[in-house]
Amino acid sequence: MRELRPWIALLMHRRKRLMIGALLMFLTLASAVGLLSLSGWFITATAITGLIWATGTRFVFDVYVPGGGIRFFALARTVTRYLERVYNHDTVLRLLADLRGSHFSALTRLDGATLARWRASQWLNRLTADIDTLDTLYLRLMAPPVVALLGILLVGLLIAVFHASLAAILVTLLLALLFTLTVGMAVWCQRLSARRVERLDKLRSQSVELLQGLAELSAAGSLTWHQQRLLAASRAMLNEQQALQWRVALGQGLATLGVSGIMLAGLYGGMQAYQQELLSGPAVVLIVLALMAMSEGMASLPAAFAQTGATRAAAGRLNQQTVLRSRLAESIEALPVPALHTLEWRGVQVGYTRLPPINLHLAAGERLAIIGPSGCGKSTLAALAARLIDPDAGDVLAGGVTLRQFQLDEWRTQFGYLTQQTELLHDSVAANLLLARPDASGAELWEALELVELADTVESFPAKLATWVGESGRQLSGGQARRLALARVVLKNPPLVILDEPFSGLDEPTRRRIQANLDPWLAGRSVLMLGHDPNALPGADRVLSWDQVLAL
Amino acid sequence: MKAITTERGRAGRSRLWLKAQGQPARFLLIAAILAGLVGAFAVIAQMGLMAWLVHALIVTRAPLETLLLPLALLALTLVLRALGQALQDILGQRSSALVRQRVRLRVLEQWTALGPVKMAGRSSATLTNQWVEQVEALDGYYARYLPQQWLALLVPLTIGGVVVWLDWLAAIFLFLCAPLIPLFMALVGISAEKLSQQHVLEAGRLSGHFLDRVRNLTSLQLFGQVPASIASVQVAADRYREVTMRTLRVAFLSSAVLEFFASVAIAVVAIYIGFGLLGYIDYGPSQELTLFSGLFILLLAPEFFQPLRVLAQHYHDRAAALAAADALAALEQDALGARKPPPGKPDSDPEFISVAGLSLSYPGRGLALAGIDLRVARGEVVALVGGSGSGKSSLLHCLAGFVSPDAGSIRLFGNPPGASPIAWLGQQPFLIKGSWAENLRLTAPQAAATDLLEAVRAVGLGEVLDRQPDGLNTLLGEGGRGLSGGQAQRLALARVWLSEASLVLLDEPTASLDAHSEAEVIRALRVLATSGRTLIIATHHPALMAMATRRVGLHEGRLADA
Repeated sequence: MRELRPWIALLMHRRKRLMIGALLMFLTLASAVGLLSLSGWFITATAITGLIWATGTRFVFDVYVPGGGIRFFALARTVTRYLERVYNHDTVLRLLADLRGSHFSALTRLDGATLARWRASQWLNRLTADIDTLDTLYLRLMAPPVVALLGILLVGLLIAVFHASLAAILVTLLLALLFTLTVGMAVWCQRLSARRVERLDKLRSQSVELLQGLAELSAAGSLTWHQQRLLAASRAMLNEQQALQWRVALGQGLATLGVSGIMLAGLYGGMQAYQQELLSGPAVVLIVLALMAMSEGMASLPAAFAQTGATRAAAGRLNQQTVLRSRLAESIEALPVPALHTLEWRGVQVGYTRLPPINLHLAAGERLAIIGPSGCGKSTLAALAARLIDPDAGDVLAGGVTLRQFQLDEWRTQFGYLTQQTELLHDSVAANLLLARPDASGAELWEALELVELADTVESFPAKLATWVGESGRQLSGGQARRLALARVVLKNPPLVILDEPFSGLDEPTRRRIQANLDPWLAGRSVLMLGHDPNALPGADRVLSWDQVLAL
Repeated sequence: MKAITTERGRAGRSRLWLKAQGQPARFLLIAAILAGLVGAFAVIAQMGLMAWLVHALIVTRAPLETLLLPLALLALTLVLRALGQALQDILGQRSSALVRQRVRLRVLEQWTALGPVKMAGRSSATLTNQWVEQVEALDGYYARYLPQQWLALLVPLTIGGVVVWLDWLAAIFLFLCAPLIPLFMALVGISAEKLSQQHVLEAGRLSGHFLDRVRNLTSLQLFGQVPASIASVQVAADRYREVTMRTLRVAFLSSAVLEFFASVAIAVVAIYIGFGLLGYIDYGPSQELTLFSGLFILLLAPEFFQPLRVLAQHYHDRAAALAAADALAALEQDALGARKPPPGKPDSDPEFISVAGLSLSYPGRGLALAGIDLRVARGEVVALVGGSGSGKSSLLHCLAGFVSPDAGSIRLFGNPPGASPIAWLGQQPFLIKGSWAENLRLTAPQAAATDLLEAVRAVGLGEVLDRQPDGLNTLLGEGGRGLSGGQAQRLALARVWLSEASLVLLDEPTASLDAHSEAEVIRALRVLATSGRTLIIATHHPALMAMATRRVGLHEGRLADA
């Protein structure tokens, strides 16, 4: 249960809410016990009184106090139950909203290399399902057994008023049942329930992959094969789920049988005590019905505790993620970024590229183009400058100061970086542009689109700037998506510009028009351009081949 | 097909859809109901025996030894009750599993029917959520709600019958409360349904929103939008909480109404019986009340309401299923509308690809293709040339059968599009997180390792592969991370190589390749072309155009000079 500890600690921040919630739950159970046992006592007592009155002996029997008690418990049960459920679910969802935000912020601190090790679809599961699974922690795993325990003690006390030794036996039996339904179920179902999340996870990532490859797979006619694989995964998950549900069904049967068995024991013990005149008739019925009402506190336990494995697995995964920290060191000095925009790679080496140390200098206002085949490692230069990764050896400097000494956010305001892969939000054209500068005016957006020769296209869309861009820009053509990404860099208006194969996917005339537009815009900025063909880049002051860069 | 837009129409469609999906599992449903009834009869017997035992003990003053047989019978009813309950659960779950697996199958069929182009506008996170979570959301409805719906009618009627026999006045108290319950539940349920639909929508949006932010994490970091995006994730989570709470509050209210009536009825019956036993009531059947009948009625009173309470607890299962059904039924309808029969039949020459009078428009985007006529002989290499948005991709989509044209006809060597396998290479390579071999086998699951190696070498990735630590078993990151853009594209091209399709459609295959990789790709494509395959390449790259045997120019959706 070690993996749950940090989460229990987190829940404890809302200690007061949790305690009020548990108290409301207990009051609900107590009202149910009160309603049923008092009613049983009342009927038996009236029956006996009626019989005695029939023989002619009259004595006073107060019907109003028990009658009022019955009505009170009836009302209390309804009210406390409603309040308890609303209050507790609100508590839990409050915690979930906090958790989601804090987890996403943990993700954003990771560097590019770490991010690549995980799948986006797995993260999706982290944020929604895993944290959702953890809601079972309080509402299903923490509060109910405590409330059931309190209920057992309450019933025990009630019985002890009439018959102490009988109470002791019945309480022992109830505690044993409580233990079986909680710890027993948790252990029995541990492995099956822990696997369910993995199965769902696999199902999800396979489904995402199928959807992303739909074009290729359906053209090739291998879609059926992939669909069969997906269905087999679903079948396997359903089978395991059923195996778990079998156990839950048996557990719930056991809860029913256990509570009513203990009730039978109470009935038998009560009858014995009655015949030995240790117990009155109404008291026997009160004991039996109080025990019967305990089923309300026990019935939900097996299903909840069967999910302990899933909860622990979810907590384990989330814990693993908090261990996973960015390899980017945060700056301690937080020096101001100098106004002189030079960049220098000094003896830089990155482990996984297996390249010799690189020395390169970009002067302020210079336009440097580096030409090399794809995959040679030139994009690494850009990633280093953007501090998406940090070098394993050497330093990257801006204005003579090591980048690590700047605050990361502060540094990133200084440049615009068009990455090799086009990343677009599943949102409107405007929202994608505003990412670069949230306060940009409509005119500025159109200006940026104008510069990348996309204004006419967007103008022709019926929804114009509000046109929805499909996931990864799939409803725009490759070239249009590329230009939208370029427009974002333009809109940001940074002193430093990095363009990684800016015109990939563009046809010759469009490329030439954008080149012409970019030329004046780039004037005065320090620009690093990467590409495999000097003609496919805006005009440069200095052109280096990748081999030349390595030789510097 | 006419789209159903009114809310009532949609709710009705969802209900019909749920009913239709449940058909194959109806025998399991009936078995679950029967098991539940066995449990209910056991409960009635149990309560009767208990009341009788107390009566015998207190009123008849029978010695305990003579009551052992009824006590044993009581134990038997307890076992029967637990068994019936467990069996009802298990049978219900079997029926639900059966339904869910069939729904999954149908959804996959519908995705196929819609095709890649129509699916491109939908987020794959939302669709996955539909296929995984929303189908799971049907579980409670078939496993618990449906059997309970019947039991909530049958069990109270049976218990009510027993109470009528015991004391009709007490039965009237119970039956007076009972009809009010469905009435309130219906009232509350209607709004719960609406809210729950919103809830499913929010859950889908939340996951789509998040997946998208994670995909764009690099951009968010580069544009300094991390704090804003954290805030937006939190806002989304908060909105999710608000919507969920609204749903829950209503759901809880519906069960509170039930709870209230059940509690009041028990209280009224208890007080009525008590007063009757005291002889305060001197009309009706109350004078004949005994401890046995009085206690029996009291014990049955909670059981009378229990099935309805359970139904109320499962009411959100129904609402969740209806909400999921709304989306799933909409998908079904879209898929029905998507499959148009291929129009016309100009020629069925098996040696030619023929396109006649092809027109296509996208809603909101105007005309993409207008009256295209094209004939391509087997073995030709055709370059489709034109600016961005000229219709090159649209024409390829039509040829691949991803979209049905508005007018005109297409025959690929005599067959309609989609009838036989086509090798496809898109603008962005489709690579999964897995090994090289897994990625290569995506379109050729049965390919041998030697074929894979040959394909890898054919596209010029031999040297790169030799540098991989585990050869073909080396793992790639999502979207081909670990390979450069050019390498990733060539790996996808290796799949084309592996495929035995006679038609290869390439959508700007060299868009992100350098001169060196490009030359290798073109070399590989040439070998492909000489193997008798027909290549249709959308491109504006001079080298590829030079390689083609013919150029076809496109401008604003019409054929133009190349």
